[in-house]
Amino acid sequence: MVAYYDEMKDRAGIKPAYADVAEWAKATTADELRLRQNEAEGLFRRNGITFAVYGEGGDPERLIPFDLMPRVFSAAEWDVIERGSIQRARALNAFLTDVYGKREFIKAGKIPARLVEGNPAYEPIMQGIQPMGDIFSHIIGVDLVRTGPDEFNVLEDNCRTPSGISYVLQNREVMQRILPGMFRSGQVRPVDHYGDMLAAAMQSVAPEDCDGRPTLAILTPGHFNSAYFEHSFLADIMGIELVEGQDLFVEKDMLFMRTIRGPERVHVLYRRIDDAFLDPEAFNPDSMLGVPGLMRAYKAGGVTIVNAPGAGVADDKATYVYVPEMIRFFLGEEPILPNVETWQCADESECKYVLDNLSELVVKEVHGSGGYGMLIGPKSTKAEIEKFAGLIKANPANYIAQPTLALSTVPSLSEEGLAPRHVDLRPFVISGKGKTELIPGGLTRVALREGSLVVNSSQGGGVKDTWVLRGDRL
Amino acid sequence: MLSRTAQGLYWMSRYVERAENNARLLDAGRRIEGLPGSEASGNTEWPSIIIAAGCRETFGEGLEEADRDKATYHLAFDKENSSSILSCFHSARENARAMRGAITSEVWTAINSTWSEFRTKTMADVDERRYVDFVETVLASSFTFRGAINSTLLRDERQWFIELGKHIERADATARLLDVKYHVLLPKADEVGAGLDLLQWQQILRAANALRAFRHVYREQISAPRVVDLLVVNSQSPRSLRYSYEAICDNIDNIGVHTKAQRAIADIARENRDKLRTADAHSIIDYGLHEWLTDMIVATNELANKLGESYGFFSQVDRDATEEDAADASNIEVCAP
Repeated sequence: MVAYYDEMKDRAGIKPAYADVAEWAKATTADELRLRQNEAEGLFRRNGITFAVYGEGGDPERLIPFDLMPRVFSAAEWDVIERGSIQRARALNAFLTDVYGKREFIKAGKIPARLVEGNPAYEPIMQGIQPMGDIFSHIIGVDLVRTGPDEFNVLEDNCRTPSGISYVLQNREVMQRILPGMFRSGQVRPVDHYGDMLAAAMQSVAPEDCDGRPTLAILTPGHFNSAYFEHSFLADIMGIELVEGQDLFVEKDMLFMRTIRGPERVHVLYRRIDDAFLDPEAFNPDSMLGVPGLMRAYKAGGVTIVNAPGAGVADDKATYVYVPEMIRFFLGEEPILPNVETWQCADESECKYVLDNLSELVVKEVHGSGGYGMLIGPKSTKAEIEKFAGLIKANPANYIAQPTLALSTVPSLSEEGLAPRHVDLRPFVISGKGKTELIPGGLTRVALREGSLVVNSSQGGGVKDTWVLRGDRL
Repeated sequence: MLSRTAQGLYWMSRYVERAENNARLLDAGRRIEGLPGSEASGNTEWPSIIIAAGCRETFGEGLEEADRDKATYHLAFDKENSSSILSCFHSARENARAMRGAITSEVWTAINSTWSEFRTKTMADVDERRYVDFVETVLASSFTFRGAINSTLLRDERQWFIELGKHIERADATARLLDVKYHVLLPKADEVGAGLDLLQWQQILRAANALRAFRHVYREQISAPRVVDLLVVNSQSPRSLRYSYEAICDNIDNIGVHTKAQRAIADIARENRDKLRTADAHSIIDYGLHEWLTDMIVATNELANKLGESYGFFSQVDRDATEEDAADASNIEVCAP
């Protein structure tokens, strides 16, 4: 039996950060908890806060289960997460600048060139482009797991268009409405300045020829997209236009939107569509979602794209193992948040180790996401393990393996009352010109099925409000 | 503001208004049906309600035999009819969803809750006993929606396009509601005498929420010219054509004239308004109420189409079927008394 780290209490009892939460939970009956839980879900449904991850199928308007019990970080714990996430985001942006620029990291032999150029997320069209402030990935989601009091590990980076921030803000909104008493002491740091922070970062990277206040916009594939709620939510909190491809056009290497007063220039475009669909002239010619000529305008410096095309080369699972080295190389610092130990099946000896120890390991596809195409050794049958061994042997470069992590738990509402459930965390790091920061909080995903280690919404995962407490209460 | 956003808000608003007006029409049908002597006139109220709703085309064969159930189904629940109350709430909600970033969460919640509530409703919800409840629920949903807009939305282009949509739809609907009276036949041997005529006018006023206002304004017996005065000429009645056109022009002015096409449209809207400013009920009736209303319905639809073009609305499948409606109105002579 593996001992899982319980974030609420250790041998000494309830941890100070959880004092209020524990007290409240103790004073509340199971029926009352369930009642509040239903109330919360009703609010999500009514506000139309629905979400689905690409490729997961199912009802496009389903709810992610919300768990009422918050996850709490003390100021000291948060300090590590914050510094570590910022450090990682800075290194990833430096790496991207280098990949599409001087290539010193490759030249120094720190990463094989084939992993960069052979990467499907690598965009040759970006070669030689220097975005404003040397920022490629303005919004990075850093997925973290915890295995002990001071053991935080980065599980993966999301440098393309990470989603989930609307849940962070809405979870808080719902919690404050349902449990106002918990916030009265003013210990929980607010998160609702996310919109201002992101807007400021976007404005800071506007094209040089922009005089006056830059016009910002969010590009969505449309309201049939599974993450549409988040797109409109972001437009709402920033007070900017939510545009679709059909609203935009490029003229004289500048981007314009069609308005009731005629064309209006857009300086910074936060796109929530994949690279391949951005511009039918440059990428997928069949794309109806993008804007013909957008990349032309981008290369000419007429518009800033957030996040830049080609940023995915930094968040691939094969690139992941090189991030600690990026931190040392570009920043001259030691990583604050270590990686999870990773074996690459592309390497013959590492592959052998993986095959010999499949029942102990987690195996993932290099380009996979959403918790699919993966093997969790300790939870798999012999037949499943054998099947996966065959897959790895057929295409070793497509797989990496990691130890099965003993993910920390937070008490969550289950059929039998409060019970420990495994969690992870995705803070969202925002990078503008000369400034990298994040709000005190992030998306806590929780595996609501007993014993499950998979937090993805498609596989029984839910979300929790994430609290970061003020510094005077460690 | 994006043209697409303006278009979505405008149609969201029109659809809610249309749902409300359909409910008012159903209520008028119910009230007229219940008047003594209704059978003697051949129960013409339900076909006339369908014509007034502009749904003659979608209703199809057998209009003369339309009864309460058939009319109610078509105007309230028929998914094939893009103007049924259910379809309207669905379209309004889809437009709101597409424009989620342009409206407040209160406005979104209002329309989203309405759709959640209505999507499961069936004919069982409009049996004898619950008919009025149903009508009132539709009206209340519309009022909640308008209230949310009024209380939470910035007074900017978004509000102006929403108002524009509402008043164009309402001008159209009020003209059609008044025209119901034209299509409902009076029995040849009228035992109730002129009384039935007046009672029918009274039901029209009620459907327009204007009976109390009528008493307040005129303090006299109901008569055709006074009803026409209240619902066409009166500048204070919130459902009069005059009021709607004043609002249409105000909102066009608020939005501002930015192009030549927009200038031309603003001029047409003002002409229509000025016609209403100088109109009086007696001369309208002398001209022929039905003909006058038909002119107004056609003019309003033309205005709506040109407005859309001038603001850069994308062409869409126009659920309004303007030309058919116009044809409806002008061919009606054949079945007139």
